[in-house]
Amino acid sequence: MTTRDHIVFIVDDDIRIRDALIELLESHGVRAAAFASAGDYVKAAKPDLPACLILDVELPDISGLELQKQIAAGGHPPIVFITGHGDIPSSVQAIKRGAVDFLTKPFSDADLLAAIDAAVVQDTSARAKRAELALLEKRYGELTSRERDVLPLIVSGLMNKQAAAELGISEVTLQIHRRKVLQKMGAASLADLVRMAQRLEIPVTHSRRPGGA
Amino acid sequence: MDAPHTPDEFDAHAARAIRIIESMPGFAWSAGPDGRFIYVSPNTLTYLGTAQIELDPLADVDEFGWRRVVHPDDYDRVADRWRHCLRTGEAYNAEHRLRRADGVYRWFRNFGTPSRDTEGRITEWYGTTIDIEELKQTEEALSERERQLRELIETLPAMIWSTTPSGEPIFFSRQFRDFLGFDVADKDIPGVPRLTGVLNAHIHPDDLDAVNALFARCLVTGNPYALKHRQRGFDGVYKWVETRANAMRNRKGLITQWNGICFDIEDLMRVQSALQANERELSQLVDMVPSHVWRLTPDGEPTFFNKRMVDYLGFDVADTIKPGISRLVVLTKSAIHPDDAEAFADTLDNSLRTGEPFAIKYRLRRTDGVYRWMSSRAEPLRDSSGRIAQWYGLCHDIDDQVSIAEELRLAQERLARSTQAASLAELSASIAHEVNQPLAAIVANSHACHRWLTADPPNIGRAQKTVERVIRDTNSAAEVVGRIRALFKQSAETRHLTAIDSVIDEARELLANEAMRRRIRIEMDIGEYPPLAALDPVQIQQVLVNLMRNGMEAFGDDDSDRTLQVRVRRTIDAIQTEIRDRGRGIEFPDRIFEPFFTTKENGMGMGLAICRSIIESHGGRLWVEKNEPRGAAFIFTLPVGTKAAV
Repeated sequence: MTTRDHIVFIVDDDIRIRDALIELLESHGVRAAAFASAGDYVKAAKPDLPACLILDVELPDISGLELQKQIAAGGHPPIVFITGHGDIPSSVQAIKRGAVDFLTKPFSDADLLAAIDAAVVQDTSARAKRAELALLEKRYGELTSRERDVLPLIVSGLMNKQAAAELGISEVTLQIHRRKVLQKMGAASLADLVRMAQRLEIPVTHSRRPGGA
Repeated sequence: MDAPHTPDEFDAHAARAIRIIESMPGFAWSAGPDGRFIYVSPNTLTYLGTAQIELDPLADVDEFGWRRVVHPDDYDRVADRWRHCLRTGEAYNAEHRLRRADGVYRWFRNFGTPSRDTEGRITEWYGTTIDIEELKQTEEALSERERQLRELIETLPAMIWSTTPSGEPIFFSRQFRDFLGFDVADKDIPGVPRLTGVLNAHIHPDDLDAVNALFARCLVTGNPYALKHRQRGFDGVYKWVETRANAMRNRKGLITQWNGICFDIEDLMRVQSALQANERELSQLVDMVPSHVWRLTPDGEPTFFNKRMVDYLGFDVADTIKPGISRLVVLTKSAIHPDDAEAFADTLDNSLRTGEPFAIKYRLRRTDGVYRWMSSRAEPLRDSSGRIAQWYGLCHDIDDQVSIAEELRLAQERLARSTQAASLAELSASIAHEVNQPLAAIVANSHACHRWLTADPPNIGRAQKTVERVIRDTNSAAEVVGRIRALFKQSAETRHLTAIDSVIDEARELLANEAMRRRIRIEMDIGEYPPLAALDPVQIQQVLVNLMRNGMEAFGDDDSDRTLQVRVRRTIDAIQTEIRDRGRGIEFPDRIFEPFFTTKENGMGMGLAICRSIIESHGGRLWVEKNEPRGAAFIFTLPVGTKAAV
């Protein structure tokens, strides 16, 4: 894992913790940025890198758990919770909502770094997936409307003849469209296209079987 | 009988006349114009026991000849009369006593009629003497009786009066005369009826009309007269009297007279009006007192509510009278809060039976439907034989106090509970937090330091910075520990030698209202002179309140044996306090002292854990056992004397 392609955000109201964690991470060559409250973190401009969020549960403005709820929608870095208290219900709630780990102070550097690694891996993969999806959406956006009509039919397994009949065009025309779709979407095969359609959540509305729709 | 004509007829006539005269019961006589006897009938002479010759006058001594036979006291009067009649020719009629042959005087009435000749000259007197002794005796007896009666009336210490049937006063008794200072006729004004004069002289002007009107009516109807009015005597001072009069009737039923009596009721009136004023004052007092005053019969039936109570309830005793139900039941159902009704009925019942005064608090419904807390006390009133005659009660509105007290108590409880709860959980949380923060920083800095030192090349500068941070954070951690230690030290200093029973009493006080609400009786068995133990009264009180409340909560609504026992026993080196309930018992005896373990919906589960921790910090033990026949017994020990654990 290279040391420059991710960043660790730290949110804790205790300056001792912030300084100590930055020191620790930098000593491992990990880039880190620290914030004193949830508000400060949310407001700050963050670099577009795989990231991990080390989040203290006991914060001055809102609790870490609350912040987790609030940023859940967005696409946020995976969270590693740290806490001075360590009660079970909080930890359960945090994990259920997708936190990577829940560490009680004082924690060992090994545990922390392992959690950060897992988080970064997770975030890298998530970011890649997001990028991929974004690309697919872009490509889909470039399809003509006719091509968009064709796409669901061919991924639902209809034969060219059926698909053409469905659309009221000739089979030849259909084949032209089909080739275009595959090319624009960058699909190497039909199977690829099917996977892309699933990613894009395009509904499969037709079926090969007679009377099926 | 025909008038005689012939001499024989004359003789026969004369003889007959003589026989008639001589057979008459009276004495017959005749006398000449000079008043001396000519003829005296034989029965007269027999009666007198004299011969006719003895009735001849004796010059100077015996003018008419009957001095010896007429009573000496009567002689002069009779002789004067006889002389008068002899002279005037008037018919003679005199009463006098005559001496009988045996010397006994008897009364006689003597009649004499003159006989005149053709010229009107008196030729002879003819007379009859009749024995009226018995008549006289009767007359005298009557007269005596009349005198006695009159004297009776006169001497009676009462003002007696009489009037004619038309209301004219005819008699005042001596008492009345003395009182008025005048007699019947003394106030006569010509042209004015006597009654008017008399009444105006002594009846109070404001009462005159009433007196006149009523008397006039009675004179007409014949009904008895009775009236209270004022009258004044000779001293001019008006006093209250009561006058009563009845009509006196003859054998035919006609009124012949009105007889009346006045008796002085001045004192009576004064006493009555004083009594009335007193009664009014008392009544006002009873009604104005800012409490409800009420009264019950010995059976508990309400007979009186004072005005305040009536105003509060919106109904009076009379409204509690319903057929077939006791008034007390009606009152209880209408006005006592349903949750308090049973306790109220039980307490009242007990008092009615035993005669013990009772005191109870309950909620009473006001006329607008709002229930307010009342404190009621009642005591029996006993008669001279010691039997209860009435129950008198006072009912005082304590709602404001109760609300405030209740709020205060709840606030105190909450505070105590939260402080208590907070003390351990928060304490541990704050310890954790406060210590973990610097620790976490120390750990991270230490590792960073190690990294800097083992880097290639080692980064001494940064390593130094981290070490400085480590030192700083270590100090801050040490400080935290020091503060916590100080906290504990302080609590150990609040322990002092205390008698456990005073702490138990206070705990009971705090729980009194709750116990009453749950209808649970707290039974204390302290024993004599429980020894002193070194304890923090606030903490131990919290333990007791917690255990006792748990005990009370163990009783279900249906449990009938609602007694919570608190017992203190002495063992060799400790005081053992037991809180025993007869409730549903402990389901998880092994787990109940665990922190966060609770079977209650809203429980945090810290109570028993905290209790145990407090007791153990005092050097004692807290555990639970089964109670017989059912329920639980929470038992804790405290070391006796000055042995106090830190």
